[in-house]
Amino acid sequence: MNKKLFLLAGLVLLLLAITPFIGVVAIDLGGLLQESPGSFIFWQLRLPRALLGFAAGGILALSGLVCQNLFKNSLATPDLLGISSGAAAGTVVALKFNIQLTILGIGGLYVSSFLGALSAILFIFLVAKWIRNSSLYTLLMSGVAINFFYSSIIVVFQYVFDFSDTFSLLRWLMGGIAVAGYGEVLFLFVLLALFLLLVFLFRAEFLLVSAGDDFAASRGLNVAAFRKYSFLGLAVFVGAVVSICGPIGFVALVVPHVSRAWGASRYRETVGFTFLLGGGLLVLADLLSRLLAPPVEIPVGIVTSLMGAPFFLALLVAQLKKTD
Amino acid sequence: MIEARGLSYAVGSRPILTGLDFIIEQQDFVLIFGANGAGKSTLLRLLAGMLRAGKGDVRLAGKSVAAYSRRELAARLCYLPQADEFALPVLVRDILLAGRYPYRALFQKLTPRDREIVVAGVEQFRLGDLLERNVQTLSNGERKKVLLASAFIQDVPLILLDEPLNFLDPGSAFHLVGMLQALNRDGRTIVVVAHELEHFFHLANKMLALKNGTMRYFGVRAFSAELLRDVYQVSFQRVTAAGRELIFAHE
Repeated sequence: MNKKLFLLAGLVLLLLAITPFIGVVAIDLGGLLQESPGSFIFWQLRLPRALLGFAAGGILALSGLVCQNLFKNSLATPDLLGISSGAAAGTVVALKFNIQLTILGIGGLYVSSFLGALSAILFIFLVAKWIRNSSLYTLLMSGVAINFFYSSIIVVFQYVFDFSDTFSLLRWLMGGIAVAGYGEVLFLFVLLALFLLLVFLFRAEFLLVSAGDDFAASRGLNVAAFRKYSFLGLAVFVGAVVSICGPIGFVALVVPHVSRAWGASRYRETVGFTFLLGGGLLVLADLLSRLLAPPVEIPVGIVTSLMGAPFFLALLVAQLKKTD
Repeated sequence: MIEARGLSYAVGSRPILTGLDFIIEQQDFVLIFGANGAGKSTLLRLLAGMLRAGKGDVRLAGKSVAAYSRRELAARLCYLPQADEFALPVLVRDILLAGRYPYRALFQKLTPRDREIVVAGVEQFRLGDLLERNVQTLSNGERKKVLLASAFIQDVPLILLDEPLNFLDPGSAFHLVGMLQALNRDGRTIVVVAHELEHFFHLANKMLALKNGTMRYFGVRAFSAELLRDVYQVSFQRVTAAGRELIFAHE
């Protein structure tokens, strides 16, 4: 296995260990096991928050990688395709009308968020069926359309909410690793483990689709069916993250690019880099969001965008220079 | 081996192919030729089961291709499209291993037989140096070679190729044609859509001429000035050089 991968894993663990110590309230190492405000902040606020950030970042980055493979387009992400805004719209509707759906004991906003993401995906496939063209271009374009649609829905809801609600809604829409209990942490970690397992088990299939539809089909893969089930999976994973953290941009776009380069296009290593880097990046972004202007927290979605945009441009330029 | 029965295909109300009937036997080397837009690529995609016939049928080993699953079909034929679409980096090694996909159960690992044939493919096509390369960084000739090797590794009796010599320099083209010839000698059936008559005419034992979606000729390969004039609207001549029949356009 790749040495760089182990190095990154070590760095991420270190980051996870250090992050909860940093903040406005200093934490005393000796007081951690005693009952004190410091230990409460450490165990109940900052540690679950760091863990949640890692799991959410890992899932978002993996979902970006899967989207890029499915669309063979390095710009395809759950954000661009409207899956994230579908999930966000689902959550907003549930918040507004105080809807609490529960499936298999999993409740809260998650089910509405999942249904929102699912509706975006269904729309994409219905359009493809309706115009009898399921080319990637059609799917991508209908995804972009549904993204605009759901974004407008969200704005409408923001407008009709009363003022105090609008602010909290706006805050949620900017993305944030909200102070979470360990329930959410466990939930996202289970999903992250499941996502990793699926991505490994179906590596042959993902490799086939990333090499092209004709290539995959003539090697025996039912491409349309595989794409459908993969999207269903994406709705589950992206829906979960959005329901807890709101839509957080750029992680899904930037991380797979870097991971492919670091993993030298080897599948396992690319996947390893993707989830570690995605998780680490979000923990770091969340730390910055707490530190940049204390005691105010800058929404983490804004931090990832601020960090991601120039980084992505630099990456593009580097790539263009290489091909020249 | 594979046959077309009254095969027709249309896009909306525009007919692309009409009423094709032919039978391709095992170990045939079939050259499909015709002017641009004659329906050659569509015919190849129909044979490969990538498109569904409008009217009529394509039958593989006596059964309609529509009745095979994708996986079953991939164990019987391999289709190499005109342009590959590698939009993301993929390692050559993974492209080659993909050839074993039709034989693997879900999540199953490579068997010794899989490894054996992959190694044989790497040796026969001399790909040892390219295995860890990203397929996007290969030259056109190397890429075609890798794809053909992946068809070899897929170990299918029938290989369908759409303009395999596109964008190849004369040297690479010559080598690729030699590889196809070798695959044919080993007992495989080869169906090629191509414009390079100088490369394929002498190799094929059968030929299929298409014009505006209708079949003008199917049968034993033979030089016919009338047929070529009908298909391409120019005169062709034939010379024999170095023991090989060469044909070329000549007004």
